[in-house]
Amino acid sequence: MVGSKNRKLTRFFLIAGVLLFFYAPIASLMVFSFNDSRSLTSWAGFSTQWYTALFANREMMSAIYVTLLVALLSTFISTVVGTLTAIGISKSRKIIRELIINVNNFPILNPEIVTAIGLMLLFSSLSIEKGLITMLVAHIIFSTPYVILTVLPKLRGLDPDIAEAAMDLGATPAQALWKVIIPLIMPGVISGALLAFTMSFDDFVISYFVSGNGVKNISILVYTMSKRINPTINALSTILVVIITVVLLIVNLLPILKKKELRGAE
Amino acid sequence: MKKIGFSILLLSLMLTGCQTSKPTLKVFSWGAYIDNTVIEKFENDYDCVVIYDMFESNESMYTKLLSGEKYDVLVPSDYMVQRLIDEDALQALDYTKLTNASGIINGLLNREFDPTNTYSIPYFWGNVGLIYNTTIVDQTDLSQGWNILRDTTYKGQVYVYDSERDVFMVALKALGYSTNTTNMSQINKAYDWLEVLDKTMDPVYSTDDVIDNMIQGNKAIAMVYSGDATYITAENPDMAYYVPLQGTNFWVDSMVISRDAKEVDLAHEWINTMLDPEVAKLNSVFVGYSSPIQTVFDDLKETDFYGLSAYTPRLDYPNDEVFKYNEDIKRIISDLWVKVKAN
Amino acid sequence: MRVFGNLVKPYMVWMSLFIVIPMLLIVLYAFTTHGNSVMAFQFTFDNFGKFFDPVFIKVMLKSIQVALITTGVCIVIGYPIAYVIANVDERWQTLLMLLVTIPMWINMLVRTYAWISILSDSGLINTFLKSINIGPLKMMYTDFAVILGMVYNFLPFMILSIYTSLAKMDKAVINASYDLGANTRQTFMKITLPLSMPGVISGVTLVFLPAVSTFIIPKFLGGGQYMLIGNLIENQFITVGEWNFGSAISLIMAIIIMLSMYMTRKIDKDIVQEAQGGNKW
Repeated sequence: MVGSKNRKLTRFFLIAGVLLFFYAPIASLMVFSFNDSRSLTSWAGFSTQWYTALFANREMMSAIYVTLLVALLSTFISTVVGTLTAIGISKSRKIIRELIINVNNFPILNPEIVTAIGLMLLFSSLSIEKGLITMLVAHIIFSTPYVILTVLPKLRGLDPDIAEAAMDLGATPAQALWKVIIPLIMPGVISGALLAFTMSFDDFVISYFVSGNGVKNISILVYTMSKRINPTINALSTILVVIITVVLLIVNLLPILKKKELRGAE
Repeated sequence: MKKIGFSILLLSLMLTGCQTSKPTLKVFSWGAYIDNTVIEKFENDYDCVVIYDMFESNESMYTKLLSGEKYDVLVPSDYMVQRLIDEDALQALDYTKLTNASGIINGLLNREFDPTNTYSIPYFWGNVGLIYNTTIVDQTDLSQGWNILRDTTYKGQVYVYDSERDVFMVALKALGYSTNTTNMSQINKAYDWLEVLDKTMDPVYSTDDVIDNMIQGNKAIAMVYSGDATYITAENPDMAYYVPLQGTNFWVDSMVISRDAKEVDLAHEWINTMLDPEVAKLNSVFVGYSSPIQTVFDDLKETDFYGLSAYTPRLDYPNDEVFKYNEDIKRIISDLWVKVKAN
Repeated sequence: MRVFGNLVKPYMVWMSLFIVIPMLLIVLYAFTTHGNSVMAFQFTFDNFGKFFDPVFIKVMLKSIQVALITTGVCIVIGYPIAYVIANVDERWQTLLMLLVTIPMWINMLVRTYAWISILSDSGLINTFLKSINIGPLKMMYTDFAVILGMVYNFLPFMILSIYTSLAKMDKAVINASYDLGANTRQTFMKITLPLSMPGVISGVTLVFLPAVSTFIIPKFLGGGQYMLIGNLIENQFITVGEWNFGSAISLIMAIIIMLSMYMTRKIDKDIVQEAQGGNKW
């Protein structure tokens, strides 16, 4: 009895400890975004001045805009390209399939910094001016392999004859694709898109090497501003943390709640 | 799916559509080197968009240019101006458009890196020195000059500025050599000097983060630029600025227009605006660096920065030197500095 | 199904342009000499010769050492956590795993930046210590700070990966072990641990790979004098402008990492086979 109680306590402290470790720094970051002074260590009263400063700071607003724009566009393009390629891969001969999957693994297995300098060398040897376009292209390049990797397993679980059956019934290949295959692998496509979005949204290393001419995303801005004490970074971070937490809670808890509702209806 | 895609495309078109067709001026300067209200006012006055980008060192600025970025106005230091002139990367300034140029302190003009100021005009100037905590550092220790950075009494208490040119300047001056030496045995001795510092002092190599750290009094001694020292001493009265008698680097950060600038007229307007006494005063008060405009400089040293020695760097002190650019030496020094840090 | 097979063609072009060519460019730069113009290159081994200076070898070893310590700490902390979560009531599992994974989605720079104001000489910990009259602890700019930063950033990956392998484990095997008279300890050592090894190994790759190449964490928490291989590469590309040398370092790092990934995968297979053999017993 005593042993089991001890074990329960140990478990509790383990979990509590690790959660404290994960959340205490984030909490302190958020708390001091409301500080009335520039200090990040001593509390001088509540204020929202850093939020006002954030929204008045054009550089920060433009970074938020760049981050969102690049994340939305790169997610859309990499999801479409990745899904179609995955479907193509699943219907290709073995040699082609292996080839693509192996090359596709490069950006995933390689350290980010290597992918980044490779792209930087590519853009500068083609003398492409670094900016929004290079950042967007780079984001599509590094997120597409992840989309392919997420969608492929869903295709493996699919009945290989299903598209053929649809076409035998008179569907064109495009219809078979849109009306039959894609709806069946939709969960994989959605999780691939989510992955692509967050990867693009949080990216620093690759964006840092391939962008320029004043185009900065949030990560690059945080990097350049982190040298000085600046609670506006805390304000920006707080907003990001809140949005991400809310989205994750909705994405993860919605299915559970729905299940409960269904059970209640029964 | 189609609908989502379509709306995203539409959204992005709308977003990109918002960007104006106003002329865009691209300025590349040091971090925290301008009062931001100046940029906004300039945009309103000249109905344009200013892209203001920042760099951490002359070397990283140069590397960015090398990788294909194009700016209209740059603010490099003296020796980098010289390098850019040598490489034909700059265009001559049109002084008929720079009506405020006459206000510049005479001693800052016609320096060796651009003997007739054909390509460059001063933005801020100063030197490199030591900021120290008067409650910790014994005044008599200061007579060691740069060697105080290797005085083990202050082990774990020093910040060294992470810039190859500046650290080698300190080492060479401490050893009594010229900062512009091309003598390899002197450079190797300077390397050894820095290795000893690195090994025995447990220093932190910092850049702009030194400013807030010294204001908070986190360490006793730091190697800083005079302008940052002005800001630090103004914020924390325990701190004082000292420039070793062994000599130091005297620098002039200057505005230049790149050869491939797209907005040449606007670039001149920008430079002229920065030289305007009112604007120059705003900038100088905001960042703490010494203004090159005589009237502003005379005014601020008696008012905002009264009693702060860092605001009035010594001019024409015989042991002080301006850096000269030498490609081979640059490469050697930057390799050696990476080695010091990596070791 | 030829029709759909054609769908890979655009990506194959894209892939060669943006994945294969950049890799070849790194190799090209690594084996050529000065000048950042592709047109005027000259073949050389100098960049590699330069790297085999004891100073740079030390940087490489230090990076591997720091990454290994980080990985070790992540296993030691991550395994018990994953084990406890996998064994609590199912309702709690989802919530706890959500709490563990949320930090993964938050920007890495933000998460690392948060530690600066905690660890610095006048930071939160030292302010607290001062109030109870304990002298300032030097934490910023030390190995401790850098490893702490890495563990903080990468631990969720380890927990997630071990948890996944524990959660999908067949509970019947464990019950069978108890039925056959094994105690908790024996069951854990002989059944659970070997069967969860694939999770540990994929966790190792998820932690080791980013830890060995990051330059943000050492830069934020280690200061300019803390140089790991990622910082060395960044320094060559951003500040020094020696792209050839930078490419050579990147190539060496990429090869070392690819090799270690290949090896872990091999170990992974062996362990799985062994564990399955164990099952038959």
